[in-house]
Amino acid sequence: MAKIQLFVNNKTRVIDVEPTMPLLWVLRDVIGLTATKYGCGIGQCGACTVMIDGQTIRSCSYLAIDAYQKNIITLEGISDDDFHPVQQAWIDEQVPQCGYCQNGQIMNAIALLEDNSNPTDQEIKEHMAGVICRCGTYPRILKAIKRAANQ
Amino acid sequence: MITRRSFIKSSSIVGGGLIVGLGVFNACKDKDRLTGGILNSLNSKKGISIGDFVCLQKDGTVFINLCKHEMGQGVSSGLTAILAEELDANWKKVRIVYADPIAGISNSTGGSTSTLDQWDELRKAGAFIRNLLLAAAAQHWGVDKMDCQAENSFIYLKNSRKKIEYGELVDKITLSETLEEPQFKKKDAYKLIGKSFPNKIIPDIITGRHPYGIDVRLPDMKYAAIERCPVFKGTLVRYDATEALAISGVEKVVEIKGKVLDGNTHIRSGLAVIANSTWAAFQGKRALIIEWNYGEKEKIKHEDFVASAFHKLAHEDGREALNVGETPKMQKTDSTFSQTYEFPYQHHACMEPLNATAIYTNNSCEIWTGTQSATYVMAKIEEHMGIPKENIKINCYPSGGGFGLRYWASYALEAVLVSKASGGDLIKMCYTREDDIKCDYLNSYEFNKHTVLIRNDKPISWSLKAAIDNWGAVLGWLYYDISHKYVEEVRINGFTQASAWRSVMANAEGFSTECFIDELAEKLNQDPLDFRLKLLEKDIMVDFNHTYTCNIKRLRNVLKLVSEKGNWGKKMKENSGQGIAVYPYMHGNGYGACIAEVSVSDKKIVIDKITIAIECGLIINPDFVKKQMEGGVIWALSAMFYGGTEYKNGEVLRSNFHDNKVLRIHEIPEIEVHLCESDENRPWGVGEIAPPVTYPAVCNAIYAATKKRIRKLPLEKSMLQ
Ligand code: FES
Ligand code: FES
Repeated sequence: MAKIQLFVNNKTRVIDVEPTMPLLWVLRDVIGLTATKYGCGIGQCGACTVMIDGQTIRSCSYLAIDAYQKNIITLEGISDDDFHPVQQAWIDEQVPQCGYCQNGQIMNAIALLEDNSNPTDQEIKEHMAGVICRCGTYPRILKAIKRAANQ
Repeated sequence: MITRRSFIKSSSIVGGGLIVGLGVFNACKDKDRLTGGILNSLNSKKGISIGDFVCLQKDGTVFINLCKHEMGQGVSSGLTAILAEELDANWKKVRIVYADPIAGISNSTGGSTSTLDQWDELRKAGAFIRNLLLAAAAQHWGVDKMDCQAENSFIYLKNSRKKIEYGELVDKITLSETLEEPQFKKKDAYKLIGKSFPNKIIPDIITGRHPYGIDVRLPDMKYAAIERCPVFKGTLVRYDATEALAISGVEKVVEIKGKVLDGNTHIRSGLAVIANSTWAAFQGKRALIIEWNYGEKEKIKHEDFVASAFHKLAHEDGREALNVGETPKMQKTDSTFSQTYEFPYQHHACMEPLNATAIYTNNSCEIWTGTQSATYVMAKIEEHMGIPKENIKINCYPSGGGFGLRYWASYALEAVLVSKASGGDLIKMCYTREDDIKCDYLNSYEFNKHTVLIRNDKPISWSLKAAIDNWGAVLGWLYYDISHKYVEEVRINGFTQASAWRSVMANAEGFSTECFIDELAEKLNQDPLDFRLKLLEKDIMVDFNHTYTCNIKRLRNVLKLVSEKGNWGKKMKENSGQGIAVYPYMHGNGYGACIAEVSVSDKKIVIDKITIAIECGLIINPDFVKKQMEGGVIWALSAMFYGGTEYKNGEVLRSNFHDNKVLRIHEIPEIEVHLCESDENRPWGVGEIAPPVTYPAVCNAIYAATKKRIRKLPLEKSMLQ
């Protein structure tokens, strides 16, 4: 066990973790932030995406100890009161179905728009190809990202 | 049927709140559940509950206890809207509760039937409460009820400025013997139904607050994972858990005995690891050393399985499923035309892996899970563990995709077994993605042989013979106007467990039927659309020995609509083509039609566009319907490109999303959805309409582009041959 300090959604957390434990399970089982989802555990589906120092990472494949003293933002922490513009676009386009993949979709969409405020369809597709949606909400994800970009 | 008597008979006063049991809500037969449910605890002094089903609070909030499983298809908002419409409630004040299931209520969710099942019940509930409120307001003002009017959570006194909010009437409601049968609103008075109102669960989803079963956290909860025998019906011989127990966080390893309870519920032999985190449980599982006896399923080879299907199709008499019209006597100039189609295994791969949280104490248990059929779960726990139903409590959660997999009881039952074996720990048992793929209940492998007898260039007899794996039964929905029809089925023994997979047998049969009809049209030198329309000319109802009869007019209308919207017959570029298909989905009595545009170069198939139409009767929410159609198309395309599975020695070789691929965002075509106008005055099924028409439209389009017929999915199996 290692005692480490993490900054999650602007809060400092001191926790005991197994050095081999991925950040995903620290967030979900140890800290209790469950918006970040387990989908595959091997970096294939994107459901577990969080941001570390402004970059998206797959938390299922990222050791918690490597996040030591880094700034972690989860879906719970992307906006305070109002919806983030990407979340608002998600409402406007009524994107989710079951919603399970949507953490990954939203976190990756935010990262895309932070890098590229006006992405083409092709750029959106390339960037979002790592996040699986079994319900097939892709057509709306495309629309919602464009809507968010325009605002 | 709801009668006035049943309203009254089951009404009672409980705990200071007024409980009204509606006859339609069988819940009321079970007084313990009626008084113990979450709505009653919400209610006690704060409002009125209608049979543990609807609760109107004094602050005007209306809670509805969702009796169907929300798994992404939108039932929570769709069903709630039906109630809110008749209740004339302010949509913003209506809240959904995912409560414990009401024993006896139809809470199994499948076959695209939720909306049509609950349409009458919800309207009755809404209208009934509206009536109570109108009566209460009338009494309060000392006027006739006819002078009062309900709107947007207020009762208004006509021709005056008086109004009173629903919540304020809660204390004033009384039940009397003179209650009237509620009158339903007329279609043109609808304010919600038919409009694209937003889905209520989306704000929770996008902020991470939507409560999936996998997110359950309870005090003193432990985590569990099961290493199951990779081969169906295999058994545990011996094991060594020393290394697993040495992993930090792992607390116990307990044995789970395998048992096949029925065709749909199989507990696999296995070892459960109980730990202080999911991660530790997963690690513990990997460290187990186990010797299995794989049993008979290990021996099944795919080539033999396929050969046995073809043998049985050729030589074995099947079980008759449909036989209409006279068998024509073969004449010299008659000819037959026959083709066989193959629809493979498919994995569910719901984004939320299967999971359930459970605690067993003293011949009772409590479960927290997302299930498409809580009543079935209870029945199986009672049967297998001897826990009486009244000692089983299930807390229902929405789930991250069900698609038929969450219809069955295995995972919930496993969680209770693990808790019991551990000596009563409260455990959250979660499948790894690998478990979820390897121990999936696959879509039944199905072979469909269609044969027609042709006389004077017309089909006069049509038969379908299906060879089906371990689950399901042939549907035999042969809707074209051919005077003699015959459907039969033979069974084949596959290597693993099979079960419901979105659209069930309509996947294989929609694919085979509509590809076959396309081939037949070509053989008879007819345009695929004209040929179909000619065989759907009459406005008749066709009976397939099914709950619903097939309405040919609705089927024809949706086909016509798609042919117009999809520009049937337009000029296509070289190496590209259009394909068309139409199919009735009788479980939900909804009808679909599709036009696919594809281009093919070097055996690489690109789907350029899908135009799809649906006739699902009265539409509750057009946007929800469109979304289900978009999702259904993508579901089918995933199956066409990446479906099937591979197995060896009884074990599924796929394990995760790298080898069980599903469509990703860069692979989707343009999808256009059209909603067909309908004369129906009630809603019909939606969720499973798209896949059965998507496969054949795409295959027929591939044929138009390449002159290659696809009779076997996934596509690569056909295209590379
Ligand atoms: S759970 Fe991390 S990428 Fe799938
Ligand atoms: S919304 Fe269900 S998996 Fe994406």
